[in-house]
Amino acid sequence: MPRFSEKTYRRRVWLAMTAYVGCMLLLWPQLHVVSGPVLKVALALLPVVPMLYLISLMWRRVRHSDELQQRTHLVALGVATMVVSALSLGAGFLAAAQVLVLRGDILIWVFPVILVCYDLTRWWVGRRYGVMGTCEEASRFPVYLRLLLAAAAIALGALVFRHQVDERQFDAFLGVACVVAVAGALAALVRWRSRQHHDGDAS
Amino acid sequence: MKNTVRELRGDQGWSQAEMAERLDVSRQTVNAIETGKYDPSLPLAFKIAALFGRPIESIFDPGE
Repeated sequence: MPRFSEKTYRRRVWLAMTAYVGCMLLLWPQLHVVSGPVLKVALALLPVVPMLYLISLMWRRVRHSDELQQRTHLVALGVATMVVSALSLGAGFLAAAQVLVLRGDILIWVFPVILVCYDLTRWWVGRRYGVMGTCEEASRFPVYLRLLLAAAAIALGALVFRHQVDERQFDAFLGVACVVAVAGALAALVRWRSRQHHDGDAS
Repeated sequence: MKNTVRELRGDQGWSQAEMAERLDVSRQTVNAIETGKYDPSLPLAFKIAALFGRPIESIFDPGE
């Protein structure tokens, strides 16, 4: 089976994420303006389209992986499912007991939390097999730089389109930008430590 | 599990990437097998054995 290269995967993921952020910044705020249930439903579900594309990319990536890669994907998906299930169950019971007040739109965060857990676990499992780091070394445009650029782009987008989104959405975008920036800083730290480690081995 | 994949690959003059292509796996997987961090499945072990024209037990040593 031909490999679905990491480069192609990452390029398409960035495309999907750009489309998603574009939908959220440009089209989703129009929900308050449009009338008619069909248009409202279509507009509300629009950001789901790039996310469905992202899920299909993840599926292709796993399907075209070799056995070691499939093992790391499987462990990562298993851990992500367990973490999100535990969090949802805990939060659900707290909400049912009226200890915690949760709005329905918290469901939007389920998929991002799964993705973060999945990526962190995949990195952790990959380290065990010596898989990660080598890819990072080979990349001319390292992950930490991409994450920092993405954070800057999201923050800039939120500032530029500030008048089109309400205060809550604006805060949410800035929050996402901060999370992505922290992830970028962590990736930079991991890269720096990995290089120190390699230099230590070489000397 | 110990193995002699790295030595056999060196004898053939292949890079990890070339061997990965012949086995239809990623270069990282070849590296993980060579360093003993990952034990391949039976089908992949057979593929490796066939690639070098040797029996599996002469390449992979389960040890103690």
